[in-house]
Amino acid sequence: MADLPPADAREEAIIVDRGYRHFEGTRTGRRGAIRAIMRDGFRRVTGLRRKARRKLLPWTLIALALASVVILITIAWFESQLPTPDTAAELVPRYRGYFDFISVVALLFAAYAGAQLLVPDRSYGVLNVYFSRPLSLRDYLVAKLLAYAAVILSFWLVPQALLHLGLATLSQDGFLSYLGETTDILWRVPLAALVYFVLHASLIFVAASFINRVGGAASAFLAGSLGLNLVAVFFQEAIEETTGTRWTALLATEQHPRYVRDWIFGVHEGAEWIPAQAGFGPEVSLGVVIGLAVVSVILVGWRYRRLT
Amino acid sequence: MASQRRPSRSESPIIETAGLYKHYGKVRALEQIDLQVPPGVTGLIGANGAGKTTLIRLLLGLIPPTYGEVSVFGTPVADDPAALRARMGYMPEGKCLPLDQTAADFVAYAAELAGIPSSESRRRASETLFLVGLHEERFRYLGDFSTGMQQRVKLAQSIVHDPDLVLLDEPASGLDPEGRDQMLELIGRFGRFEMNVLFSTHILDDIERTCDQVVMLDDGRLIHAGPLEPPGKDDHISVEVFGDPIPLVTALRGQGADVTVDNRVLMVSSRSGDVFLLLREAMESSDASVRRLGTSLSRLEDVLLAAAREANG
Repeated sequence: MADLPPADAREEAIIVDRGYRHFEGTRTGRRGAIRAIMRDGFRRVTGLRRKARRKLLPWTLIALALASVVILITIAWFESQLPTPDTAAELVPRYRGYFDFISVVALLFAAYAGAQLLVPDRSYGVLNVYFSRPLSLRDYLVAKLLAYAAVILSFWLVPQALLHLGLATLSQDGFLSYLGETTDILWRVPLAALVYFVLHASLIFVAASFINRVGGAASAFLAGSLGLNLVAVFFQEAIEETTGTRWTALLATEQHPRYVRDWIFGVHEGAEWIPAQAGFGPEVSLGVVIGLAVVSVILVGWRYRRLT
Repeated sequence: MASQRRPSRSESPIIETAGLYKHYGKVRALEQIDLQVPPGVTGLIGANGAGKTTLIRLLLGLIPPTYGEVSVFGTPVADDPAALRARMGYMPEGKCLPLDQTAADFVAYAAELAGIPSSESRRRASETLFLVGLHEERFRYLGDFSTGMQQRVKLAQSIVHDPDLVLLDEPASGLDPEGRDQMLELIGRFGRFEMNVLFSTHILDDIERTCDQVVMLDDGRLIHAGPLEPPGKDDHISVEVFGDPIPLVTALRGQGADVTVDNRVLMVSSRSGDVFLLLREAMESSDASVRRLGTSLSRLEDVLLAAAREANG
């Protein structure tokens, strides 16, 4: 323990009002504000700097995505020990197949992340603080979209990167040789992930703009994605002979990114997808995804202009 | 701390409006507001629906005027609202706190949104929460805070980025008397930090205790704008006594004070001296015990009511 100061010094001690310190440094401006919103968005989605129960759902989903990679690599390792590894290796979903392998988990994560990014700012009234700062509505929405892109693309691409490295490590041809032979996935996987991101962002941002509860917005997104698929199936299978029902195949929103993904990966046996069964090419599915994005921008912008 | 006066504390008006109207459809929220607000702490008073929040939102550039001009620091708000907002802080009346964040995280985030670098934001958040009396609680979640503590966090986020002008919308609403006192004391200190304040309320006492000048709105119209005069010799004070008030009344009148009595409450004024000194001497000589003592609101209230009556014809 430190010695006490001399008595005369103690008698001279005074309590000083620290007052208020003015900021003399350089301000970061709009770019800094946008970065701050992105960082906060990442923390909000992942529950960082929040109570433990807020971390439970996002980290469970992230853990499932990563665990699936461990499982796939483990299966690939067992397969590589078999007498005919090349044939067996085809059974392990990789790259294109991985998108389907974790599609349910990814859909849940997309719903949760989008709702968490937009809804609490409104339900807590924090928009009042945002728009008293040097930010425009466009800055705010762009920052939220970038935050969503960061978390969703990370969710897709980090496991894919781990899978890629794992398969390269197990390759009979050697690590570097495998990487050299599979350079095409370096653009195919990110491009396919981007298509998923655009579709999910379009739907969840609209839901989260109009519904003031996180659970409600996420549920609406999931119900919309899966429900429209069922509607499309109903029209295609139950009343396929009726004139004009072909176009209802385009309601199968959840299948458009899959169809486009197969196109990106050069797989042409896409007849399993409802739009393909109705005779539409993958470029039509891509057009639907882009069209939904445009509609989403208009609806979300309209909604927030009214709010602010 | 900066030792020189900042540009915004010059004597030129910090807020100016000319022929300002704001209509929401058929609702006329503001009508013909011509206003010049000098630096300092200014009270914006009016009943609910008088147009106080609308005026604040116009100053922030969040909504455009229907007609007329609004300038802050001599710059028309319409020219570059974002740049002006960088120099302003805003404490909304309603809820604005993310209840799942800690006070330190949220106030630091509010600073970053105003362009303060990340590392400096955390330091400033800590200092500002110390200033509003929440240093010990800064790592607690906002959802666990009382209403008074939440109001303090709202105040902290409005000043953390070192604004030149702070707009406070009913900062003391929902607070108990002790919390209200503390909030008003804090706001009163802002003037010493070279910060200009526009502070809306519907309670006259808040204005008298805190502000250098007052702006009164009634039904969207400007009723009165001007400085608050310092307490004068003809001020009234209100005294409530224990027991019989007659000895104190006699002593006061003996010293030339004007006294009216309502049960045990005396309204005391004096044209010949400091009324507080007279009261002290009278209390000593009459041995009276005082239950409650305060300045009367009559002066400002009278001014504002008279202005309202005049405006309403």
